[in-house]
Amino acid sequence: MLQVRGLACALPDGRPLVEGLDLDLSPGQNLLVAGADGMGRGHLLKVLAGTERPRAGEVAVAGIPVWPGEGALGLAGRVRMGFAFPTGGLLSNLSLADNVALPLRFLGLSRGEVARRTGEALTRLGLEPVANLRPHAVSAAARKHANLARVLALGPELIFLDAPLEGLDATDRSLALGLISGWALDSGCTLVLATEGADLPPGPDFQTLDLRAHHSPSEPS
Amino acid sequence: MAFLARIGAPARGFLEFLGDQAHLVWRTLRSGLALRAGQLAVVGGQTKLQIRFTGLDAGVLVAGTALLLGAVTLIQAFSQLSGLGAENYIGTLMVLIILRELGPLLTAVLVIGRSATAIAAELGTMQLNGEVDALAAHGVDPYRYLLLPRWVGVLVAVFALVVCFDAAALGGGFLVARLKYGITWGFFMESVRQALSNLDFTATLLKVFFFSGAITFHACHFGLGVRRSQTEVPQAVTRTVVSALVAVFVVDGLLAACFYF
Repeated sequence: MLQVRGLACALPDGRPLVEGLDLDLSPGQNLLVAGADGMGRGHLLKVLAGTERPRAGEVAVAGIPVWPGEGALGLAGRVRMGFAFPTGGLLSNLSLADNVALPLRFLGLSRGEVARRTGEALTRLGLEPVANLRPHAVSAAARKHANLARVLALGPELIFLDAPLEGLDATDRSLALGLISGWALDSGCTLVLATEGADLPPGPDFQTLDLRAHHSPSEPS
Repeated sequence: MAFLARIGAPARGFLEFLGDQAHLVWRTLRSGLALRAGQLAVVGGQTKLQIRFTGLDAGVLVAGTALLLGAVTLIQAFSQLSGLGAENYIGTLMVLIILRELGPLLTAVLVIGRSATAIAAELGTMQLNGEVDALAAHGVDPYRYLLLPRWVGVLVAVFALVVCFDAAALGGGFLVARLKYGITWGFFMESVRQALSNLDFTATLLKVFFFSGAITFHACHFGLGVRRSQTEVPQAVTRTVVSALVAVFVVDGLLAACFYF
């Protein structure tokens, strides 16, 4: 599902992030990108998802070139991809429900199907009471959950989650963990999770890329 | 070599800017041609919002400005040419000054001040909040969702505003002509009609097309160029205004040279 060859990229401040990174993730496999805050976990996820350009190397998703190429735009309509951002990432002029529904409407799904999937995702993440509010009017935890709800509603084949548990209380955390574990165990879904390392959901296998160590993937843990 | 590099840097920067503009136009056109039926409602909704903001909400401002401009133009013309039978040239004056030149040009200036600034600031803020990345990562083509509706919306709005501007300016001019010389509506309009040619309509349509493109794509270029901090947003807005104004005046000059020189 995700192939990376000789990837080299740097952080926006110029510090090197990875050099010559190779990766192969089959459908259903999971990758944990571990590293402390400020090490560039999120930046690496954006490069892999095609929203940030690497310095060198190749990235392909389901055999479709992302870099060199058009980035994530080349995947539109060909591979369903979801990305949960740690902060922001929601359109500030739309309600949470419209944010969740927008990618579905762009897929050309019927109005009823969009409403059903949006409603289910918002319910699963406990967001119905705030579904019609805009992102600035809800808590940070609700914004994080709305990011997850958007991914859930889309039902993607490839999911990128950037620090999805950071700053959540115990209840919200267990809700998000249940969802993430489900994706990690789903054989039709490839999950790339960026976290400090202690947040790993129990159960599923993760291939690990530790940015603190060698900048290269280790054996499955 | 350093001297040559210093001289060449602005030229290279300008060529890069032109290349980026061409890229934005091409990608937006391509995304528009690939628009699927299911996406029409989303893109159409965004286009309607843009038309409302750029066109409808600016209607009173544009009409008021045009009314005053039309009146002032004829007041000044009569004050200078009253002994030379200025009333016989009312139509020519209105067509030459207002309909042919100032109508499209001042409308573009007002749209740059009201809408290009808003587009640049909105896209810059969206870029900072990761909203543009989020769209692309979820299969929503930003060219189709953000740029195409803005382009079409500004195009429709500028066309409507130019028509509104011309009509209001003629109204203002007629008021002065009526009060000063007691000229009838029929005589006034006949004078304008005789001075108008098909060339004027063609030139105005081309101006609307190129002005709206320049306004939209300058705003999008500078807005989407925001990368790191909030302080870049006002800078992007300022650059948009200056750059779009220059582009509009250059296009206006080129079209005037092509059609009337």
